[in-house]
Amino acid sequence: MTHLTLGIPSKGRLEEETRAAFAQAGLVIERNGGARSYFGTAPALPDLIVRFMPAGEIARELIRGTLELGVTGTDLIEESGDETGAQAAPLRALGFGRADLVVAVPAPWIDVTRMTDLADVAADFRTRHHRWLRVATKYLNLTRRFFSRHGMVEYRLVESTGATEAAPASGAADLIVDITSSGSTLTANALRVLEDGLILRSEAQLFLSRRADWNPERQTQLKLLLETVGWIPPGSAEV
Amino acid sequence: MTTAYERNLALTRLVEAEGIARVDPPMLLEANPYFELAGEDFGRSLMLSLGNDGAEYCLRPEFTIPIVAQYVKQGLSGAPAAYSYMGPVFRQNGTGPTEYVQAGVELLGQTDPEHALDEVLTFARRALAVYGVTAPAIRLGGVALFEAILGSADMPEAWRPRLRHRFGHPDAMARLLDRLAAAEAAPAEISIEPSGQAALVDYVTEQMLAAGFNPELGRRPEEVAARYSEKLALAAAHVPPGTVDLLRLYLSVDAPAGAAFAEIEALGTHYGFDLAAPLATLRRHATTLAALAPEAEIRFDASFSPRLDYYTGIVFEMLSGQGTVLASGGQYDRLLQRLGASVPVPAAGCAVWVSRLEQEFGR
Repeated sequence: MTHLTLGIPSKGRLEEETRAAFAQAGLVIERNGGARSYFGTAPALPDLIVRFMPAGEIARELIRGTLELGVTGTDLIEESGDETGAQAAPLRALGFGRADLVVAVPAPWIDVTRMTDLADVAADFRTRHHRWLRVATKYLNLTRRFFSRHGMVEYRLVESTGATEAAPASGAADLIVDITSSGSTLTANALRVLEDGLILRSEAQLFLSRRADWNPERQTQLKLLLETVGWIPPGSAEV
Repeated sequence: MTTAYERNLALTRLVEAEGIARVDPPMLLEANPYFELAGEDFGRSLMLSLGNDGAEYCLRPEFTIPIVAQYVKQGLSGAPAAYSYMGPVFRQNGTGPTEYVQAGVELLGQTDPEHALDEVLTFARRALAVYGVTAPAIRLGGVALFEAILGSADMPEAWRPRLRHRFGHPDAMARLLDRLAAAEAAPAEISIEPSGQAALVDYVTEQMLAAGFNPELGRRPEEVAARYSEKLALAAAHVPPGTVDLLRLYLSVDAPAGAAFAEIEALGTHYGFDLAAPLATLRRHATTLAALAPEAEIRFDASFSPRLDYYTGIVFEMLSGQGTVLASGGQYDRLLQRLGASVPVPAAGCAVWVSRLEQEFGR
């Protein structure tokens, strides 16, 4: 028979909170081999396969359709998916992992408070410095879409996989697009969020892949899982 | 009825015509020049690949840039040269990665740049005819004309380059014009009430140093202070509403060429602008086109421009009945110096979408 696979973040608080949320809803997930094991089980649903994976990989596999269900951040799903958002559907917001994806500039840029300012600065910058304004981010696609919506066209992205907030001070970039929960890291690095620089509000959610092979067996298992945890999202009868 | 083989042969003969050198730039190119010239918007469509050292490469997305870069590198800048090409290019868009065949010409450093543009138009017209397309919809755009209008319109100097940068990006342009039509919001006053530019520069420098930013990297304190003052000044001195109306009116012109030019001439007379030179050039090329393709509909669309700011003069597209772009090109005098030429070099060229033409033939 074909099994239903559920992806769970493999590390840290995200893993703990995900397992706690499922346990509270009535589905205990066990990681039998401890933190080094990448497979888990849910005794209440013996046919369910639980895989522990990095949150970014969960998003990519949901989008690709190689994973049927998974818990990951809205930011990662939107970054990996295309503009239609049709590849993965949110089933349940889990109430943690909340963070905002924002555009932040050096606080001393007293002339830049809104996206329109940034677009003007970018247009002038290239003539003056013979290079494009550089934006450090891990979120290449979301940044391109947001900037394009705001008429910001003259910039280059610098891919950053960690410590993005340090990029302006080090000279690696002029400004950043990054995720922030309290804003304290940004403040500590003398960065200021633009008034209209909120790209996305993100949180951990259970997502369903629309591209996965939803054969009748998997549909039955999905129904069973959702009944077990009592999360019946609107329209979930139709996968 | 010709076969695909015969059509390919006929196009090859056109590409390899006398007096023109067919070139074949590498398929694997450095990605950086594309990002530097065309920005992230075009960068999205590249088929990127990483070298082991992390350097970014792309599959050839078009021919103009490698051909022009090679011309500049060979120290030919300023010398007349005529190149042609035919081969695959690679792009990705909403529907995934795609391989297309393109053919085209690039005429560089020609002594009569307007004649060069006519030759480019002739090439495009003949290439389309190989595939039985004799009455394409032709769209002309006037970069020089827009620049002439922008240069004559009454507005604070700071807005001219910003408006120019948005030409070819209709959404971004509309957004900026809306903003100019509405009153500019003044920036929040900063706490120290700096009096004068020097005090403002000091203030920003202090802020940067205190926060650990190197004032010598990226935006300088002078730039921030200058733009801050400029923003205050612009908030006080608006772009006159008449100028915004004029630009909106001009950009909305999209009509058969003759009617469009008459409309723009009237607009110029009304505002007292001297548009004689760019209009005469446009009329001349529209006449060439009408002689080349008597059955084609030739329109002038004032808002039309490729999204690349190295285009100058006149730009064009030839489209199928379904609106697919079959050929596009124009004058791009600013590209050569961007790619390192030490002297200005006039340039004109076009690319023909062979794969699309072959599909068109089947219709």
